[in-house]
Amino acid sequence: MIILCFSSKFKNAGLIIIVSAIIIGIYFPSRHARHYSCVKNENVLDSLYYEQKMAHHNLKNCNYEDVVFMPGNDISIEDVSDEKIYLKPLPGGEYLPTQCSPLLKSAIIVPYRDRPKQLKTFLNYMHHFLQKQKLHYRIFIVDQKNENLFNRAKLLNIGAKLAMKYGFPCLVLHDIDLIPLNYANIYACSNTPRHMSSSLDTFRYNLPYLTIFGGAVAILSEQFKTINGMSNLFEGWGGEDDDLYKRLIEHGLIPCRFCPSISKYTMLLHKKNRKTSESRFNLLKKSTQRSKFDGLNTLNDNFTIEVESLFTHIIVS
Amino acid sequence: MSDNDAEPLCCCEYYDKDKNQSHILACCCFCEDLDEGFESLITCNGFPRYRCLRFMATFQDRLRIPWRGGAKLVAVDSILPLIILPIIFIIAAQSLWWTIFSFSTITVFLLYIFQVLIRITPRTKFFFVWTITSIVLLYIIFEFVVIPLLEILLEENIALSILIASFLFCLYTLKMRASRFHKSTDDSEMFSLPGTRFHNCSICQTTVPDKDHHCVWYDCCISRQNQCLFMMSLLFAAAALLYSSNLTLTSVCHPFKLYETILLPDDCSEVYQEFELGISFVSAIYSIILAVIILIILMQQVLLVSIGLTKKEWNKLPFSSKCFLGLTNRKYHSKGFFRNWSRILCWTEPKYVSINHT
Repeated sequence: MIILCFSSKFKNAGLIIIVSAIIIGIYFPSRHARHYSCVKNENVLDSLYYEQKMAHHNLKNCNYEDVVFMPGNDISIEDVSDEKIYLKPLPGGEYLPTQCSPLLKSAIIVPYRDRPKQLKTFLNYMHHFLQKQKLHYRIFIVDQKNENLFNRAKLLNIGAKLAMKYGFPCLVLHDIDLIPLNYANIYACSNTPRHMSSSLDTFRYNLPYLTIFGGAVAILSEQFKTINGMSNLFEGWGGEDDDLYKRLIEHGLIPCRFCPSISKYTMLLHKKNRKTSESRFNLLKKSTQRSKFDGLNTLNDNFTIEVESLFTHIIVS
Repeated sequence: MSDNDAEPLCCCEYYDKDKNQSHILACCCFCEDLDEGFESLITCNGFPRYRCLRFMATFQDRLRIPWRGGAKLVAVDSILPLIILPIIFIIAAQSLWWTIFSFSTITVFLLYIFQVLIRITPRTKFFFVWTITSIVLLYIIFEFVVIPLLEILLEENIALSILIASFLFCLYTLKMRASRFHKSTDDSEMFSLPGTRFHNCSICQTTVPDKDHHCVWYDCCISRQNQCLFMMSLLFAAAALLYSSNLTLTSVCHPFKLYETILLPDDCSEVYQEFELGISFVSAIYSIILAVIILIILMQQVLLVSIGLTKKEWNKLPFSSKCFLGLTNRKYHSKGFFRNWSRILCWTEPKYVSINHT
């Protein structure tokens, strides 16, 4: 009798264990989009990296408080493709604020292949957006002109190398189809690398996983040099951003994010061309072993530079 | 059968229609009627009709699932939804035209099979199994296709699960109350209670006090004793379906912000490019269609309770008075708006006076 009773209890316990295992499996946090810790809006300006000012300017330094704290900073998605008003930048898409002397200097590096319509929208929007933020910036479009699979990371490495040569202390690695929707999302580097596109509309304005580090990121040139840039081996869609994240962690650089209210982005509609790379999981496994021998230092120089009116065109063949 | 009960059955054994002990694995082993039938077919004598009928009977008898205490018989009509629904979903996930085609086909099919099954086997479980299959299928697609897209927050998933659990709880309690208060017709007892009308339901063969209608999808009668639960279950079902379809559509399509945290989809042109997105989209469309139907039924129920009519009485009304929402008709059993509602919402258990009918 006791054994019977015990066995039925045991059976119940087994059932309870199975049910709770299923429930934990279904509601496991990593199966869902995540909440994340972020830099508070009032601390945004303190978190930024400012350039040591050269004294030969007579202008007073730019004030960025009104950029971040201006009311009505949100931009609605309908306005994205409108014709924007902006000052004509210098050849190569470089711009220096005229009314004040900028403390923030960024290179916007955009990997690109054959999307002229999106490029037009992007340039039109970004010049307006960045000028409103009173930044010293230059837009680099890194164009892959060969038949190989799209190698986003390699293009970013090439763009970064050139931008560093031109003396930019801050690199913004940016996808062509992303459009920021808040003027307070300032396009300059924080003291730690920053994941900028954390509230993207195609992800329901949620963050898919905590270690995501793709889309639009800002990283100091020094830091990018320390981690030896990105891997050159990721061909096709996916993996290279996770590899970058691993490199950062390896060097003790913990990325930060701005809060969802100011890190909103929209993705320009396009037909998905996600030829995923088969080797990306194997590459990711050996990520840390490779970082010294695969990156900025193993880049070949088969590219040409064309100076256009709105951007610097780097053609990689 | 009781004289055979000497030894307990294993879960795969059963007593067949001729009361012989048999095993599931022997299902394809020997069928006299099929053998004989084919023999006469090959010898150009045609397949005799009685052989055909007996073959069907054997087939029906051998269709069993393993169960504790002996394999259980399953009716063909009740496993049909388990096959049809997933196939329909897979076909519909191919392209927009396949979606339209398969959903309109399924509508026509259901209308047809309703007529047939109610006539042949009124106690069929087909519709109830359809309901359960739909719930399980939609839940599986949501948890294992939509959630892994990593776009839905944990609390959104939990909120949806609470809605589904509330619906299932209502459904379970509703069926429990139905089996408690709706007595089998072959009981020799008769009941009476002043102010209560008793109906014999021809489908579930029970005596139902204050019957509203028989719901094939829940496979039980809805009466005053469980009408409140019925409406609550409809409400939860509609809420769960609409919420899950919103979560799914905003994940697989391009969403826009309507207000604060409320998102709506605005461009679904790319959903058929990948099977996972396609089947999620199809499940969302199916959910929306179901939710609309459920909301219509719920509104009708609210109206009928308010004016004190039962579904059966409503169906008998002429079209002209339906247009006036039945307000023009005399309602013999209506006791005014508030009394009508209070007797539905009342949870007290009715005490029927039993009359021995001999």
